[in-house]
Amino acid sequence: MQELETRPANPELKELVVEASRALARLDATRLEELAVSCQALTRSRDCEDPGEWEFLARQAREAATDWAVFARVLKATRSNLNVMKRLRDLRVGQLEYTERQARGGAGVEGGNGNH
Amino acid sequence: MGTINSALSLIGGALDADQAALSVVANNVANANTPGYTAETPDWQQNAPINANGIQVGDGVTETGATSQRDRVLEERLDQQQQLASSSGSRLTALNSMQALFTPDSGSSSSTAGDIGSDITSFFDSFSSLETNPTDNALREQVLSSASTLAGDISGTANNLNAQGAALDQDASGIVSQVNSLTGALAQLNLQIQSISPHADAGTLEDQRQQDLSQLSQLIGINQVSTENNGLSITTTSGQLLVSQGQNFQLTTGTVSGSTDFFLGSTDITSQLATGGGQLGGDLTARDVDIPGALSSLDQLAYSISTSVNAQNNSGKDLDGATGTVASPLYIFNEPAAVAGSAANMNVIMTDPNQIAAAAAGSGTGDNSNAVAMANLAGQTFVSGQTPINYYSNFVSTLGATVSEVGTENTAQNASVSQLQTQNNALSSVNLNNEAAAMSTLESSYQAASQVFTLLNTIMASALNLGTETAVS
Repeated sequence: MQELETRPANPELKELVVEASRALARLDATRLEELAVSCQALTRSRDCEDPGEWEFLARQAREAATDWAVFARVLKATRSNLNVMKRLRDLRVGQLEYTERQARGGAGVEGGNGNH
Repeated sequence: MGTINSALSLIGGALDADQAALSVVANNVANANTPGYTAETPDWQQNAPINANGIQVGDGVTETGATSQRDRVLEERLDQQQQLASSSGSRLTALNSMQALFTPDSGSSSSTAGDIGSDITSFFDSFSSLETNPTDNALREQVLSSASTLAGDISGTANNLNAQGAALDQDASGIVSQVNSLTGALAQLNLQIQSISPHADAGTLEDQRQQDLSQLSQLIGINQVSTENNGLSITTTSGQLLVSQGQNFQLTTGTVSGSTDFFLGSTDITSQLATGGGQLGGDLTARDVDIPGALSSLDQLAYSISTSVNAQNNSGKDLDGATGTVASPLYIFNEPAAVAGSAANMNVIMTDPNQIAAAAAGSGTGDNSNAVAMANLAGQTFVSGQTPINYYSNFVSTLGATVSEVGTENTAQNASVSQLQTQNNALSSVNLNNEAAAMSTLESSYQAASQVFTLLNTIMASALNLGTETAVS
């Protein structure tokens, strides 16, 4: 992380946002975190006192407007999808718990005998 | 003796169960690449323990079948998102084709159907040129030529839009037969599932049903309602019944006001289908909203330019000294009777350049006042309160914004579909590593049971040879 923050970086905001949408669609948390660091690098590498730098950032933000809109919508869809995914997670956890319970229950009833 | 028999029976059951479970794994592996196949896991049921001399002794397990690894809620969500993505996808394709009609060829000096903006400027500029020398025949010819280019491009674009509308109409009609075929298949599958497996997952039949649902979702917007005995009712997103248990209701088409409308029974559900989703929804939105909207704007532009330019020319005096009359008006364009259809019918009817009324009525034929007035029309707000060029620019910008908006929607919806698809694959598709692990475990279990069986067999033989009863603890 430290290396990413300090190394000279000049990422284009547009590319970052497009990649963020892709990473979000894949639910790739690691990549999203890397991109967040890149966004920080983008702003930190700029001299805030220099109006030219602000103009540069503003231009990048304007160019990325459509990609931001896509990202916002993917985020919204992900929020809705999460309910379904949470259900899946519960289902999987339930399956694991069932297996453990069965294992415990099986041993209790059969006393270690006949459990193939 | 009785206890050895019980043990033999228990081990026999274990061997059967392992073998059946291995079949499930083998079936999974065999279908790893079958589209729509859902991985199955064996179901184990613990046998009731037996009572031997007051002691509860386990009686092993039985493999009672297999359960597909599916989640109906996830599948339904995936279908819903698929409907939205499919709808915006087909609408985006239509919008891109529309936009191409208004995009000038880059680097081309010749007029194309997409150069309406330049045509408008050139047309009014030709009057600016004429005002410098109102009697010059070449300049008069130039006015008619630029008028003809403008009219040709507007009418050509309108005709292309109409052709696109007709193509979408045909596409939409073609979807109906696919929808009917799928709803028929779904009704049949409902019956089969209800009779074969009313209380449990129906395995491959449900896979088939899910595949049909997925295909149907790409075509139209649907809602799914689970019914008793593993049945499924399907409605359009606005609630019209398409499948109920074993019965499907056919969509039909009919021509209404020159375009295809869609019916369920006698109810016209075209507008509901347009907003419902799927390819049909996207096609109908483009056909009934986007294309008529663009045509209406083009009609307004053509109507305003034709009527205003005609009126201005008719109020002046031509090179032969004639002024316009009711019987013989000095019209450059054919005069439209109504806004609707003005673009497709826009045409230059003036053939004699001398009839361009550059002079004001009451002035000499060398006067340029009316040519100046016609050139000045370019800056007047006579097209729905805007200048012609601003009106056209705003229209093209609005179309571009719509294309961009639908493109954004489509990209996000496809991302959502892929997100859900990944989740569904993780749950339902065959993971060969997991299957290999399961196979290895089951094989070991089978081998262990075989060895116990062999051992019991030996004990039994020994017991028979000894002629005395032997018990296995």
